[in-house]
Amino acid sequence: MGRLQGKAAVILGASDERSMGFATAKRFVEEGAKVVLAARRGDNVRELADRLGGTSIACDITNEADIAALAAKALEEFGRLDVAVNYSGVDVAESIMESTAEGLRKSSEVHFVGTALFIRHMASAMAHGGSIITTSSLTALAQAPNYAAYAGAKAGADTIVRIAANELGERGIRVNSIAPGFTRSAMTDAYFEMENITKAFIKEIPLGKFVVVEDIAETALWLAAEAGSTTGQVIDVTGGQSLRRVPLPIDFG
Amino acid sequence: MIGRLEGKTALVIGAAGRDNMGQVIARRFAKEGAKVVVAGRRMDELERFAAEIGGKATKVDVTRKADLEAAAKLAKDEFGHLDIALNATGWGLLKGFLETTEEEFDAMSELQFKGPFLFMQSMIAAMDNKAGGRGGSIIQISSATAKIMFHDHAAYMGAKAGTDHLIRVVANEFGTHGIRANSISPGLTESPMTQDAMGVPGLKEAFLKGYPLGRIGTADDIAAAAVFVASDECFMTGENLQISGGLTLRGNPTREDIAASVAAASATE
Repeated sequence: MGRLQGKAAVILGASDERSMGFATAKRFVEEGAKVVLAARRGDNVRELADRLGGTSIACDITNEADIAALAAKALEEFGRLDVAVNYSGVDVAESIMESTAEGLRKSSEVHFVGTALFIRHMASAMAHGGSIITTSSLTALAQAPNYAAYAGAKAGADTIVRIAANELGERGIRVNSIAPGFTRSAMTDAYFEMENITKAFIKEIPLGKFVVVEDIAETALWLAAEAGSTTGQVIDVTGGQSLRRVPLPIDFG
Repeated sequence: MIGRLEGKTALVIGAAGRDNMGQVIARRFAKEGAKVVVAGRRMDELERFAAEIGGKATKVDVTRKADLEAAAKLAKDEFGHLDIALNATGWGLLKGFLETTEEEFDAMSELQFKGPFLFMQSMIAAMDNKAGGRGGSIIQISSATAKIMFHDHAAYMGAKAGTDHLIRVVANEFGTHGIRANSISPGLTESPMTQDAMGVPGLKEAFLKGYPLGRIGTADDIAAAAVFVASDECFMTGENLQISGGLTLRGNPTREDIAASVAAASATE
C-alpha cells in the first residue's frame, strides 16, 4: 500500500516537467495520493496533470481568490484535503544598492503574503488535519549576494510557518518548510548552463553533488506522509551547503 | 577621565603568553581603571606582565578547581571583591576528525570543557550576591568555529560549542544571584599564536574573503567587546557575541581553498 493511499494533495508550482512541483506530484501519485496540480499558467499544468492522471487548476499565488479556489477544487474533486505543497517562487536578484520597491514587493507578494494566505486557505479546507509544506531557501540560511528581496521574504515566510504551526497544531495540522539548496530546476536552469557558477557552488557542498528535484520530492513525501511529530521546522535539503557558504561574485571568476 | 571599569576587580586567566589575547584584554581592563589579577601557567611572564599593568599575578591551571578558587580568593583578599572573571585559555589543535587521538580529545576536553565548567563554578561562588559577593560578569572566550565550520578542528570546536551552552545555563540559573555570563567569539585573530601561519604567503588571503569588513580581527577588537560585557552598562546575559567582522555571514575557507590560495601565491613569487 502506498504511503499516501487515500490522501488528497494539492501542489502549487508545477508548470514545468523540470520543476520541484512536478517531481513531487509524480512521487505522490506513485504513493497512492490523488493530486491537484496548480500553476500560474493553466495550459502547461493541465498537460502535466493529464500525464499523472490528476486534475489541474490555474492558480496565481498573488491572487487570494485563486488560492481559495485551489483549496475548493480539492474538496470538490476528492471530498477532502490532506496535503498542500507550495513551490511557487519568483527569482528576484538585486544588490542592496540597486534594490527597488518593485522587486521587493514582487518577492513579498509571492513568497511572504502568498505563503501566509496559502497556509490560511489550505488549513481551512483540512477538516481531518493535514500537512502543509512550503518552500524556504538556502538563501534564508546562508547569505547570498543580491538576494535580499528573495531571501528576506523567504525567511519571513519561515517565521510565519512557525507561528502557523503553533496555532494550527490543535487542529492536527502540521506546517513545515523545505529549504532546497542550489537545485537544478526550471527556475535555475540558466545558472546551471554557466560552468563558472556551478564550479563555484559545488566546492561549497559537502555532499559533493547538486540537489535535484527528486531530493525535494522525497522530503515533501516524508513531511506529507510520516513526519507526524514534525511541525514548525525548516528542513534543510542543501547537501550541507548551509554549513559553508553561498559563493560571492568574485568566486565566479 | 574615569575609566569604564573603575572600582572593579578583574581576574583574567590565560595571560601567561607575551601579548596574547589574555594580556591584551588584561591591559585594557587595567587602562579602564580595573584592578587586575592575571593568571596562567608560567609565573615568570605573569610576574613581568603584572608589574607592567600594576596588577597581581598568580599561577592557575584551569583544569584544577583548587587553583581557580585560590585565584578568586587572592583577588578578594587583595582588592576586597571580584567583579569580572574572564577565561582566555585554549588549545588550537588542528587535527583531522579521524586522526584525533583519544589522548588529544581528553586533553582538549580537560582544558576547554571541564576547565570552563570549573572556572564558572569557582567564579560563581566568589561573586554570588547571596553568599557574600556583589555579583559580577563571567566572560568566556569562545570561537566563531563553535558556530560555523572549519576543517581539522573538531575537538576544539565541539568543546567551545559545549561551553557556550554552559554559559546559557549559568546565565539562566544565577541571574538572580547578580551574575551575568556571556561568551565572546573571535574569528581568525592576529596574535602570537597565529603569527607564524600568517607569514605563509596566500594563507591570510584565503581567509580574508570570508570577512565582510575586509580584515581579520585583532586582540584589541576582543578586548573592546570584553570591556563592554564586563561593565555595568551591559544588561546582556547568556549570549554569545560574534566579534569577527561578519565572518559567520560567510564562512571559513575549505582545506582546498587554502591550498589553492597558498599555491597561487607561491607561483607568483
